Amino acid sequence: MAKPAVRLRVVQVAFGISIVAVLGRAAEVQLVRGAKYAEMARSQRTERVVLPARRGAIFDRNGVPLASTQESYHVGIAPNELRDSRQDVRVIASSLGLSRHEVERALRKKYAYFHGPFSSARVDPLRKIRGVHLTSDFVRFYPDPRFARPLLGRPAEAGRPADGIERVLDSVLAGRSGSAVVLRDGSGRQYESPSRLDAFPVAGGDVYLTIDADLQDIVERALAEAIQNYSAAGGDVVVIEPKSGEILAVASRLADGSAPATAFNSVFEPGSTAKLFAAAALLAQGRVKDADVVWGEGGSYQLGARRITDDHPQDWMTLERAIAVSSNIGIVKFASRLSPVEQYEMLRRFGLGSPTGVEFPTEAGGRMQLPQRWSRVTAASLALGYEVSVTPVQLAQAYAAIANDGLMVRPTLVKVVRSRDGGVLYRHGPEPVRRVVSPAIAARLRDMLRGVVSERGATGGTAALATYEVAGKTGTARKAGPAGYIPGKYTASFASLFPADRPQLVMVVKLDDPKGAYASLTAAPVTRSVLEQLLAAQTGSLDRARLKGVERATTPDPALDLGLVPYVVSWPSSPPAADTAARAVPDVRGLSLRAAARALHREGLQAKVRGRGRVVAMAPTPGTRLKPGTSVLLSSEPR
Amino acid sequence: MPAKGRHWLVLWLFFFLGTLAWVVARQTSAVGLARRLGDTRARRSALEGQKTDLLRRIRSASGRAVLIPKAQSLGLRLPADSEIIILQVPNPERR
Repeated sequence: MAKPAVRLRVVQVAFGISIVAVLGRAAEVQLVRGAKYAEMARSQRTERVVLPARRGAIFDRNGVPLASTQESYHVGIAPNELRDSRQDVRVIASSLGLSRHEVERALRKKYAYFHGPFSSARVDPLRKIRGVHLTSDFVRFYPDPRFARPLLGRPAEAGRPADGIERVLDSVLAGRSGSAVVLRDGSGRQYESPSRLDAFPVAGGDVYLTIDADLQDIVERALAEAIQNYSAAGGDVVVIEPKSGEILAVASRLADGSAPATAFNSVFEPGSTAKLFAAAALLAQGRVKDADVVWGEGGSYQLGARRITDDHPQDWMTLERAIAVSSNIGIVKFASRLSPVEQYEMLRRFGLGSPTGVEFPTEAGGRMQLPQRWSRVTAASLALGYEVSVTPVQLAQAYAAIANDGLMVRPTLVKVVRSRDGGVLYRHGPEPVRRVVSPAIAARLRDMLRGVVSERGATGGTAALATYEVAGKTGTARKAGPAGYIPGKYTASFASLFPADRPQLVMVVKLDDPKGAYASLTAAPVTRSVLEQLLAAQTGSLDRARLKGVERATTPDPALDLGLVPYVVSWPSSPPAADTAARAVPDVRGLSLRAAARALHREGLQAKVRGRGRVVAMAPTPGTRLKPGTSVLLSSEPR
Repeated sequence: MPAKGRHWLVLWLFFFLGTLAWVVARQTSAVGLARRLGDTRARRSALEGQKTDLLRRIRSASGRAVLIPKAQSLGLRLPADSEIIILQVPNPERR
């Protein structure tokens, strides 16, 4: 056995080695791996969380909210923390709109969770209940979910990409998420720690669209009624302000009630609405004089292998008359004076075959062949609005150029973008694209369009108003299918300028396969209906002060059944001396209630209505002499 | 007379207690403030929710889909353009 001194030395050495080992390990932990362990410790007691930014709101041009972001809540309940289970279950059930049985069943678990999302007002009574844990979230809210649905679109969600304005302006609306570090206890509960806020979330900007909510409402409703009345497969309406290019309303709808954004991404052959572009090319190239006429061929004209017909045969006609009556033969004969390149270039100048650049994510560009690929009949087809396809927005942009003295501007949907604190980040100004035609030619084209609506026998008379002239062009084009044109199926469209002098609005109405087929019987009356409603509405889309001085100069066609009350009167008004002489009650039996009421109003009489449908009886009887303002009772029955 | 050890001890004790009381007071005030802030946030959120709901109801009630059937049931109709008279505001410069 070793001596005690040796044993002692061994113990000392062992202790020494142990101490050195401990110190070495301590040095390794603290100095070599210190940072790593510190980070591990931090991650165990803290957690970095993303603070979502509030998405910006979308308004119409007048500040009417179309989409906003609302805080909503998910509700978690720890049953073992509730103080008075019976009472708490009652409050929870009534607040969340659930049955007591549902809540009680959920509370049998260790932790009950109601995803909701629930509004702040609904969860408010739960805030004071111990054991109830609320987690907030932002949800997108649309005051009227169907309003301008295809235009606004929706932000991206799980399994569904974003679309519409929500998609194209996502970078503006989304804002910038913030981040924070929260403390976590042993059981995993999180505690907010303001001192550990890394980055504040920055709310998204607010977007003011060019859309006028009132006009949009009018247009959507008029389109829905038109689709129903004419048994159409669908349709689109676009209203644009020609000087600024601001789109005031855009509606799309199918017969089944769905609303894809077809005004932007679905093309159609414009038919006769494109005849005006051929006329523009003829005027720009100086290929037609005022007195030039072509022969109408009695309504049937053989062009190579193709027969061109007119529904209403014409004799000799000028270019203006050919446009007014929408003569296929007339425009084909005039357009034959153009070279393919001249014709093609004018169509391109009007924007056909290329997207407008409007802020919509899936805009279609349309289709038009290069002159090198034209067949022998392509020039004639293009003059008639075939072999070229456009979107309703493209057509509106082209007509807006005519309304804007020949200057084309880019159509837009975004008027102003504001930051959350109110600063202006972007304000739209007119963006000229190109000069399409000279102001003088644009004025001539407007005169032609005026003739389409106001000339006797022209095709657009059903769009006429009593007090202001409307300018426009009808288009009825055969619908193409996979195996050529479909017999009996048409696209009816009407492109219009209102008023004809100093136009404030350009409107394109397009109906797919309407019963009645002709645009003059379908799309043009829809235009008139929208304009009448617009004039009656309190909307700022129409500058009524600018209507002064552009009233209808000519007496409207009496066949159009328009009233004759002066439209704009100066103020202070000096009404003409009242005509108090008795007048005979007109016979309005057999007329619709609307037409009957108009006829009575024209005579200064009031209408009282009983029933609906056509007027079957009147009291007093027709011919009775009454003083102005007297009421006439109209009894009507459904047709 | 120079301070003795126990005097220093008492002084330090008072200083320690004072500091402790100050920290506790600050914490209490902060907790109260945080609670009030939370309540205010909740109130604001509730009011925003209420506003949103009212907006939805106003939008729905003022839409043509609601108004026009009601107006028609009262015997009203949309006026033709010929039945509308727009009053032009006088130009102040011409007065």
